[in-house]
Amino acid sequence: MKRNRKIILAAVLFGILLTALAGCKKSSGGNQEGEGGVKEGSVYVPEYAQLDLTCDYMDSSAVSGDTLYISASIWNEDTGNSSVVYRYDLIGNKAQKLYELGENENVYGMVTNEDGSLTMVCGSDDYVYDENWEVISGGFKMTVYKISSEDGTVIEEKEITELFPDSEYIYIQRVCGDAQGNLYLSDGNSTIYVLDKNNQLLCEINTGDQWINSMASSKEGDVYACVDGKLKKIDLAGKKIGEAAQNIEVGWGDTLYTGLNSSFFVNSNNQVYVLDLAAGTKETLFNWLDVDVNADDVQYVGELSDGRIWAITRAYKEEGGADYELIYLTKKDRSEVTVKDEIIFGTMWMDSDIRKRIIDFNKSNDQYRIVVREYGADDYETGLIQFGADLTTANCPDVINLSQVDFAQYASKGVLEDLYPYMEKSGIKKEEYLENILKAYEVDGSLYGIMPVFYINSIAAKTSLVGEDNGWTLTEMLDLVDEVDPPYVMMYDSRNTMLWYCVYQDIDEFIDWESGECFFNGEEFARALEFAARFPDDEDVDYSERESVETLLHENKVLLMQTTLSSVQEYQMMKGMFGEEITYVGFPNKEEKGNLIVPASGSFGISSKSQYKDGAWEFMKTLIEEEYQDSLVQQHGSWGFPIRIESLEKQFEQDMTPEYDEDEEGNQIERPKTTWGYNDFTIEIMAATQEEVDAVKALIASADKISGNTDQQIINIITEETEPFFKGQKSAADVANIIQNRVQIYVNENR
Amino acid sequence: MHILKSRGKKRTLQQEKVGTKKSVQKIKKTGSNPRTRRGKWISAGYLFPSAAGVLLFFVLPFMIVIYYSVVDNPISHQFVFLDNFVMVFQNAAFQQAAKNTLTFSAAAVPLAVVLSLLLAMMLESKIPFKSQFRTFFLSPMMVPIASVVLIWQVLFHYNGMMNEILAFFHADKVDWLNSSYAQVVIIILFLWKNLGYNMILFMSALSSIPKDIIEVAVLESASSFQIFWRIKLRYMSSTILFVTIMSLINSFKVFREIYLLKGEYPYDTMYMLQHFMNNTFSRLDYQKMSAAAIMMAIVMVVIIGILFLTENHFGKDVEG
Repeated sequence: MKRNRKIILAAVLFGILLTALAGCKKSSGGNQEGEGGVKEGSVYVPEYAQLDLTCDYMDSSAVSGDTLYISASIWNEDTGNSSVVYRYDLIGNKAQKLYELGENENVYGMVTNEDGSLTMVCGSDDYVYDENWEVISGGFKMTVYKISSEDGTVIEEKEITELFPDSEYIYIQRVCGDAQGNLYLSDGNSTIYVLDKNNQLLCEINTGDQWINSMASSKEGDVYACVDGKLKKIDLAGKKIGEAAQNIEVGWGDTLYTGLNSSFFVNSNNQVYVLDLAAGTKETLFNWLDVDVNADDVQYVGELSDGRIWAITRAYKEEGGADYELIYLTKKDRSEVTVKDEIIFGTMWMDSDIRKRIIDFNKSNDQYRIVVREYGADDYETGLIQFGADLTTANCPDVINLSQVDFAQYASKGVLEDLYPYMEKSGIKKEEYLENILKAYEVDGSLYGIMPVFYINSIAAKTSLVGEDNGWTLTEMLDLVDEVDPPYVMMYDSRNTMLWYCVYQDIDEFIDWESGECFFNGEEFARALEFAARFPDDEDVDYSERESVETLLHENKVLLMQTTLSSVQEYQMMKGMFGEEITYVGFPNKEEKGNLIVPASGSFGISSKSQYKDGAWEFMKTLIEEEYQDSLVQQHGSWGFPIRIESLEKQFEQDMTPEYDEDEEGNQIERPKTTWGYNDFTIEIMAATQEEVDAVKALIASADKISGNTDQQIINIITEETEPFFKGQKSAADVANIIQNRVQIYVNENR
Repeated sequence: MHILKSRGKKRTLQQEKVGTKKSVQKIKKTGSNPRTRRGKWISAGYLFPSAAGVLLFFVLPFMIVIYYSVVDNPISHQFVFLDNFVMVFQNAAFQQAAKNTLTFSAAAVPLAVVLSLLLAMMLESKIPFKSQFRTFFLSPMMVPIASVVLIWQVLFHYNGMMNEILAFFHADKVDWLNSSYAQVVIIILFLWKNLGYNMILFMSALSSIPKDIIEVAVLESASSFQIFWRIKLRYMSSTILFVTIMSLINSFKVFREIYLLKGEYPYDTMYMLQHFMNNTFSRLDYQKMSAAAIMMAIVMVVIIGILFLTENHFGKDVEG
């Protein structure tokens, strides 16, 4: 009996332990308030509608109840720009043409008045330019129109150009009105012009060096501005920007709208929130990503009287122009919405291209939904620690962006899934992808990460100096520097930068991880230290005093240039800048393989702990499939090279295809495909030659390591110990011995 | 009358006592007295918070450490039995750390015990400025560790005060924190930090030795050494054991100072076992860390066991 009681007591204690540990369970992602901005139990559901008007771009807008007034412009090569103001019934999704603006006339901003009319501030010019874009004749005019919001009839028209006598041209960025009927015009030079009801200048308010990011009237009728990340009331009596609103924090890029039920309705970078100034509260309504809307595309947003939220988005089309869409967001109980399996996408930062892919996936997939957990959104350092901690616990994201983590370390811990079996199961052949790029994320024949797009990080130099090989050793580099003895070895050549290029970019030069041996006490490292010591400290160097890099290159004053390469066109530009044949020789490396791979939009792996590995793969698959890889070709390699060989070949083919114009006699004359620039240097890019494409292919093939994978611990040790050497207190050999000693422990520990 | 009353009362008390004895016997027979049962539940209730705390914060983590030490990693949880122990034992960094920790403890702990005992003896004798000396030796305890490290950096930096003194005597500079001298620096730091506390413990032990025994020994013409060796040391054996154990534990904690001085990867002579464990933990090598921790715990248990046996041997004939 006594024994039984002891057993019961032990069981109770054990139960308490388990209860305490139950708090460590996996969080449910975006279901709680604060994460995704959706309240527990409710969710905003999007509905998409075709916008009832066609235009190339929209300028200004004003809202009155459920009616949107908007000026839309269409560009015509023959007739130029034509702008029209529409009255848009947001509930009925119906546009009504209200007012047509004059030639070269634009709406800077508009406000709705209490009497139902609409006030517009418009600017126009009739400047005539010469071939160098110098003004020959013409002038600038600014007008305030008051029109009927029913039929567009002009009620009042007044030119206010004379209010800006000192300006040859003035651009009004924001217009809003207060409860007294005053009009506030904010220009791009931190000045707010306030006009009274009769369009007479009441005052000018100069904000000094405070940048006005947004300006709007509150529901209460006062005008506020977002200034340097703070919400400040415009103090008309004091003719100044007032103090920041207490207890209210706004983001640097937030856009204010007059609230329907609260003081302001605010569109932030990635979410929508409302501000109540009287209560001093801020309530997040939703996160754009959670409602399958790309925050980058949102142009206008507001509230409807029926509680819904509307937004107009503009998505750029690959072939040029933009698609506009009207989105209605309805708040519904979570139980009314079809529940999907949530795949957590863990990342330090959100790439805009990947965000688009996630939104597309969420819109199209019936079974899975990706929920983004952006660890670095608030505090990067704290986020990175949390990310690392989550990766080894039950809180691990299903899809992991490996860009900021040591993938090999996590792969060896079993955190990551081997992706080759998934590729095989999906019928994706690894032979169809660049072998060396895949291998960069391989460990013992297993693939732990995939980067859909990449570019190359390298050092470029004239072929006449370094030869044609895409690689060299540290000794070869140092010998060349001694031989040529240029005024500048590199454009940015501080001591730490040179140490970075010579040592950190390829630390394996000094560490043999197989045998656990370190070679920092060898001649090579001491030579690198002595070489770095020739350059000034970061604080002592002023690059602004130097001529531009293109001038230095042309005048043979700079020997090497650290650069990245993301397209053939960029290669052509670099060649033009150097003025002769160039070689991407890479960072010094004992195996002469110093060209490094950089994931352009991130690299992704699947957690071995994931409940939804198949769902995670379904998303990742979209990043390497033909459709997405081919879409990268359309971008002309602006973001990097696709990893799919066929897509890459398509890109090369496109780069080599000439484009022609017809002259007056009907002859085909090759025209530039595009123009590239670097600082003041610009170059027209013609179709690439086979040699140029081959050079880029060879460069890509020479890269097999990820850039920036040097362990921070080693960098810390070297940085700390080299300081006395650079200050002349210790010899290179002494410092090298200490580094050897300390790094050896690190290496031993990691074996 | 008064006497009679008292007697009557006495008799009544005796009767009560007898009655109680009978009740006790009865309880012993049945073992189910409700009051006693309630008492047990109450005592269990009082014990419960600390028992749960010990389970939650000591027993459970230790069990988890044991579990991690026999699996390949915290993700796949493949049972590998003693592989982690073999791997850690063969690891050059672990061997270096174990050697350094052992050397450091072997040198620092006896010094910390002997020097503080000497100081306590000195301060117990009639010397002037006793109080000031006591305060002086205790003051390092009050200085925050970050400040201590700052002082040590000023003293032992390559351009620090010690090298200035050496330069005054035309001697070469010594890189105290990046050479074989590094452990000497740490031993001095350890002693500076811990002597005061140990000294107070010894002073308290010395003051609790019965004066009459020492007076008898003096009357019996015992020498000062005999009094110290035969009486004082024996009476202080439990304190010596305590101070030794505390010093040993503190010697393992010296990582904190080294970490603040030189970070996670100091010069090899300063690299301690806790460096190994902390670094493996931050690299998510839980299995390595757990194996190292268990090996270290075993060694600690053996050392403390030996210390207990020694104390039992030397202090067995002393009361208390």
